[in-house]
Amino acid sequence: MSVRQLAVAAALVAAAAALPLVASEYHQSFMLQLFMMVALAQAWNLISGMTGYVSFGHAAFFGIGAYAGALLLQYGFPWWLAVVKGALIAAAVSAPIGLLTLRLRGPYFAIAMLGLNEVARIVATLWVDLTRGGSGISLSPALLPGLSVNYYTMLLLAIAATALVAWIHRGRFGLELRAIREDEGAAEMVGVNTVRNKLSAFVLSAAIPGAVGAVFVMYTSYLNPSSAFAASLNIQMIVMVMFGGTGTVWGPVLGAGIVMLVREFLWAQFPALHLALLGAMLLVVVLFLPGGVMSVFARRKRMRPEVITRESR
Amino acid sequence: MQELLDPVVLGQLLIGGLLAGALYALLACGLNLVFGVMRIINIAHADLMLVGAFAAWVLFATLGLNPVVALALVVPAAFLFGYGLQAVLIERVVGRPLLASLLATYGVSILLVNLGLLIFGSDYKSVPVWQGSFVVGEFVIPKPRAAAGAVAVALALGVYFFLERTRLGKAMRAVSEHPHVATICGIDTRRIRMIAFGLAAAMAAAAGAMLSMIYSFSPLTSADFIQKCFAIIIIGGMGNFLGALYGGLLLGVVEAYVGGVLTTQWAEAVAYLLLVLVLLVRPTGLRGAADVR
Repeated sequence: MSVRQLAVAAALVAAAAALPLVASEYHQSFMLQLFMMVALAQAWNLISGMTGYVSFGHAAFFGIGAYAGALLLQYGFPWWLAVVKGALIAAAVSAPIGLLTLRLRGPYFAIAMLGLNEVARIVATLWVDLTRGGSGISLSPALLPGLSVNYYTMLLLAIAATALVAWIHRGRFGLELRAIREDEGAAEMVGVNTVRNKLSAFVLSAAIPGAVGAVFVMYTSYLNPSSAFAASLNIQMIVMVMFGGTGTVWGPVLGAGIVMLVREFLWAQFPALHLALLGAMLLVVVLFLPGGVMSVFARRKRMRPEVITRESR
Repeated sequence: MQELLDPVVLGQLLIGGLLAGALYALLACGLNLVFGVMRIINIAHADLMLVGAFAAWVLFATLGLNPVVALALVVPAAFLFGYGLQAVLIERVVGRPLLASLLATYGVSILLVNLGLLIFGSDYKSVPVWQGSFVVGEFVIPKPRAAAGAVAVALALGVYFFLERTRLGKAMRAVSEHPHVATICGIDTRRIRMIAFGLAAAMAAAAGAMLSMIYSFSPLTSADFIQKCFAIIIIGGMGNFLGALYGGLLLGVVEAYVGGVLTTQWAEAVAYLLLVLVLLVRPTGLRGAADVR
């Protein structure tokens, strides 16, 4: 990361940290959701952007973290422990899933992940003893920290996720992940441990939504299977990363910011319209700007854009 | 448990499973055709099915047309829709990395689902025609199910013979075998792709029109069906037309038995369990080519 990028990052963080001093609760809530989406987008970016393994089921880890957080809070654990454990439990669940599904290449992995979220929702609905099924879990306000704690925790998660991606991106690990994306067979040939690398990326990318889910439930104080495992969350994650720029550090931040602003202006009365618009945005980006908004900057500076080039077969 | 060993009950479940499976097969064949010809996984395939279901519903609600009669309108319209979709959108991601085609068809899917919600809302619709059942010996077959199953089998076999026997069908298979050699032989691969996608959309819409007589549906119903479709083509082998037929029938029967023994919610999850099992044990499917992995 260059000095200028660091300066921009520091300015953004300082502005976000100072915001609760001046902004209304409504605007703080908006920012909290923005941080949430930045963290989730970075998580998707980490596995799908860097390795090229397209996950359509990452919302499942968000839901698992949210349920873990809700249950731990109910048992009287302090909120920060609920968040940490939310991340750890999501990571623990993701390890066997990754071990099985990451053996599959290309379309097979995408298909296997597509159903994960649905299955998680069915399990959460049927396992009534643990989750109270469809009626959901309400948390009493006495168990929950206030808005400002949620705000700063979510901010911290967004920063941590972005820093993690930045750190991976510039190091050997990131190089190996991109080698897997470009040509997995060749990467293996030159000695990249593809299995370990893919699995590490997958588990890390599941831990982030796990923590985010736990904070989300502290913020909303209510959870049911369809809010925990919302398909629209998958859509948003993917669109944001694609829009900003796949496999880049700043793309997901930019994408999350732009999509959230668009959503804010088209807001609540028309949820179907908003999702239809996200679908259209996804199409336009995939067809006409495959490197996302970041590729426009990169082209201007005569740098190679981070476009995925692996052949489909 | 005892009654489940009764041959009449077993036979009844088998008939129900095969009839539902025929519809799955028709749907999955189109998905496999597209994958075979252009190596694209169309995530919006089940949404094309619902386009057919809603078209049948509209024709029934306004003109009182029976969905089987409505096929005469729905199928050609869906073919043109698919042809146009390929020409305008999908053609641009042919040969691009997997991520591009997956996300482009995902975008089409999101768009169709939410346009459906805007136009029709999320209430469930159904097309109540042909009350009553055929009684064959000790077995009872509801009339709409029998009609849907028969239409699905006829259409799937029709497309199969089209692929096997006609010149255009052979060209289509040639493109899916080897696009470059097909081009050298003078086949217009772009035109073949557009026809293939049109055909797939027509099959999906026909399945949807038949579905409208049997199930109640909303724009969100497609999520279950695309999952089942994927399970079917993975079980049968990706890109293999006959594989999708077998896989569809198999899934229908397994679902019927699981639904009979456990609950229908488990039947919903069965497709996914089968999918994961086959992916892990034999990713190329029952009849798939080894090179697709």
